[in-house]
Amino acid sequence: MSLLKVDELDVFYGDFHAVRGVSLKVDEAQTVAIIGANGAGKSTLLQAITGLNMQKRGAVTFDGKDIGRMRADLIARNGVTMVPEGRRLFGSLSVEDNLLVGGSSGRKGPWTLEAVYRLFPRLGELRKMQSSTLSGGQQQMVALGRALMTNPRLLLCDEISLGLAPKIIGDIYRCFDAIRESGVSIVIIEQNVAQACNASQHVYCLLEGRISLEGDPRKLAMDDITAAYFGTEQHA
Amino acid sequence: MIWLETIANGILLGGLYALIGLGLGFAFGVMRVVNVAQGDFIVAAAFIGLYLYPWTPLHPILVIVPVALIAFGIGILLQRVLINRVLGHDQIPQILLTFGLAIVLRNGMVSWFGANSQSINVGNMRFWGFDFLGMRLGVLPVLVLVIAIMLFAALRFWLNTSRMGRIIRATADDHQVVQLLGVNYRNVYAIAMGIALALSAVAGVLLAMRGSFTPYSGADRLLIAFEVVVIGGLGSFWGMFIGGIVLGVTQLVALKLDPAGGLMYGHIVFFIILILSPKGLSSILTIKAFRK
Ligand SMILES: Nc1ncnc2c1ncn2[C@@H]1O[C@H](COP(=O)(O)OP(=O)(O)OP(=O)(O)O)[C@@H](O)[C@H]1O
Ligand SMILES: [Mg+2]
Repeated sequence: MSLLKVDELDVFYGDFHAVRGVSLKVDEAQTVAIIGANGAGKSTLLQAITGLNMQKRGAVTFDGKDIGRMRADLIARNGVTMVPEGRRLFGSLSVEDNLLVGGSSGRKGPWTLEAVYRLFPRLGELRKMQSSTLSGGQQQMVALGRALMTNPRLLLCDEISLGLAPKIIGDIYRCFDAIRESGVSIVIIEQNVAQACNASQHVYCLLEGRISLEGDPRKLAMDDITAAYFGTEQHA
Repeated sequence: MIWLETIANGILLGGLYALIGLGLGFAFGVMRVVNVAQGDFIVAAAFIGLYLYPWTPLHPILVIVPVALIAFGIGILLQRVLINRVLGHDQIPQILLTFGLAIVLRNGMVSWFGANSQSINVGNMRFWGFDFLGMRLGVLPVLVLVIAIMLFAALRFWLNTSRMGRIIRATADDHQVVQLLGVNYRNVYAIAMGIALALSAVAGVLLAMRGSFTPYSGADRLLIAFEVVVIGGLGSFWGMFIGGIVLGVTQLVALKLDPAGGLMYGHIVFFIILILSPKGLSSILTIKAFRK
């Protein structure tokens, strides 16, 4: 059975129909990538799954439970969390306080302060620093660590490589192995198609709010992905 | 010497003004809610104090404890039942809501208690004084300043060190992201409003001990609170304290120069600061922001 199942999801901003009839699923311990151009509706989709956007229609099932109308904080307490686009750290808080807020969800599991510092040793050295003074890469580590502190079963990552140097992106992606091994399923949103295909077992391409292509990234032809990404050809 | 004494008394009064601003500034800092009814809640707290202090053991000044607890409960209810329903990008609904609440509260108090001037009687303490560096200072005003400083420091300490304080600071930074971490921001807001009203209530009771009040005093109190918060720089913690002191000193010095001036000179100083530095004094003094 799938851990997350989204069925015919529509999401709106007022009259604007941003996500149109999207269905997808994520299995236990799987990594799924969602790719798509600017404004395709990727972030909107994740916000609807996490309950931050309540203007939605359709079914969202997590671990057999209907979370479609559930409040965002309860969805998080059930084990779904997100590293939001642009990191959105608590800028006035220290690194450690950011992580500890993540730990206030009350979920038990392998992710503790020590475990996060083991994953990102640099954060341990910076723990007393105000988070807004950190570099982009360090901030992204805090954002990831903060999400892990909730001990999620499903971790959604919205463009975590945006604006970071290639080396740092590599460092962060390498950490996903350790995260997956702790039993967490991962959904990544990427604009970098190659990065997304490398890191995932299943990829969905979003175009103007619809899924234009999906499949195993190793079996999809690059041309098809490009066409689905930019909408240069008609895909069902 | 008489001027030094005036300035000292201005500082003592200013500490209380700062406390009046703290509740408003705290609510704004955490929730971006401007509680227009704050002034009338302050007066309502004074009335509660007026009815409770004869039953307060040890000393009448301790009535601030039960009044603060009651105000905390009222704040939680207020946020849960009313203000949480109108939160959103648009701030007009909550301003209209609290404005309406202010009117209801004020007229309710007039019809219940009458329009007479009242005061909370702390007994002889009102007349106690002591000599300090050649100045004659009142025991009650000094005590009030000490309480104000202690409340500022305690709140700051609690916010910085406790689990709930950390969640409040995080929620103030980003009330959406805290939800992704399992925090119900509406509960956090309710607690923050409880704290804001409790602080205001203490200010209201202390004000009623130092001077007198009527059901109509709310508008003045709210104005002071606004000025303290704006002078301090919106949401700046110790900036607010300095804002209160500036107002207090200005008022007493001006009263000496022009006994008919009342609060006017305080408003003028406020106006000048607003023009010179729209972000408040804290931007000049680079005081650490409230959301540390
Ligand atoms: N708060 C909002 N109000 C109205 N429209 C919005 C809002 N947020 C996003 N949109 C619109 O919804 C559509 C999808 O936006 P979304 O942010 O989900 O795209 P995205 O795929 O995440 O893009 P990006 O790669 O730039 O992050 C866009 O057309 C965008 O303009
Ligand atoms: Mg996006």
